[in-house]
Amino acid sequence: MTASFWWLSVPLVIALFLALRFLNAKTHHAIAKALTNPVCWAIVLIAACLMIFKLPYAPFAEHTKVLSWLLEPAIVALALPLYQQFIHVKKNLLLILISCSLGVINATLVASIICALFAAPAELSASLASLSVTTPITLLVTDALGGIPSLAAAMVIFIGVLGAIFGNLIFSLINIQNAQAKGVAIGTACHAIGTASLITEQPKAGAFASVAMALSALLSALIVPLLYPAIQHLI
Amino acid sequence: MKYLISSAIILACLAVAKYLTALFESSFPAPLLGMVLLLVLLLTGIVKEHHLKPTASPVLNYMPLFFIPAGVGIIEHLGLIAEHWPLLLTIFIVVPLTSVILIGSVIAYFKGRENDS
Repeated sequence: MTASFWWLSVPLVIALFLALRFLNAKTHHAIAKALTNPVCWAIVLIAACLMIFKLPYAPFAEHTKVLSWLLEPAIVALALPLYQQFIHVKKNLLLILISCSLGVINATLVASIICALFAAPAELSASLASLSVTTPITLLVTDALGGIPSLAAAMVIFIGVLGAIFGNLIFSLINIQNAQAKGVAIGTACHAIGTASLITEQPKAGAFASVAMALSALLSALIVPLLYPAIQHLI
Repeated sequence: MKYLISSAIILACLAVAKYLTALFESSFPAPLLGMVLLLVLLLTGIVKEHHLKPTASPVLNYMPLFFIPAGVGIIEHLGLIAEHWPLLLTIFIVVPLTSVILIGSVIAYFKGRENDS
């Protein structure tokens, strides 16, 4: 195919993302914010465009490599918010560290057990082992486990939206209103989208969620690549 | 100049991490190791926050842009999703639900259930 329009990929992705982010910034309600998440819609709209016009993914990936390359230094730069959160919570660090670790371990363990029950192929269970972490980290961890990074990313994004919508309902049902408990739970299990929605609604819980999200990024990176093969060995 | 310094620090961490993972033939993702290295440098005070901010802040602000192309890759796996949707749906609900209940309960055990503010 001698298509010469692929160079438009990067400018169009940037323009679309900025437009979606602008619209998202105009919403003020916590759930509306989660439902208009710019990353989620950018991926859905671009995927829909490629499918409607019957365009292949490979040249799109090839021409947007510039963006994908920048993801690596961006992940290194995540050390900055991680550090900023670290020095904020020295007092509660141990409890938050333990509960975050439990959350990360639980996510990998529960997903592996469900995959085993459904007799899922290895590629699929590897794609679902690292869901308790922010999207860029899951891309790398899933790739290292031999899974499908884009599938893991989609699951993580949708789980974030789910957490933003139903988080409060769950806490009412299990009768927990403590800001630290809510924040750490949402930050670990529902990452960026859940955290952003919590910050708009309950700033104190939102602050704990930011800490937990940063910590679970680090913990997932350290724990999941070791834990997942061990679980597979046992199952 | 400040952009140059902060970019150099980030890229140096990434380069060292890539070198180390290649040296030990580790499957550990190099950018994650780079993140850990940079965190250690920050915690030990070797690198200061203001050294990093000029490049780190805009890069972090636009980070979602960098994983959109990878996310679009999902269209190559629609068949797999259609075939295994009951599994995916189960995981989608059970994994975050169990984690939220587990973490919430552990912290509530130590800190109380009520809103303390």
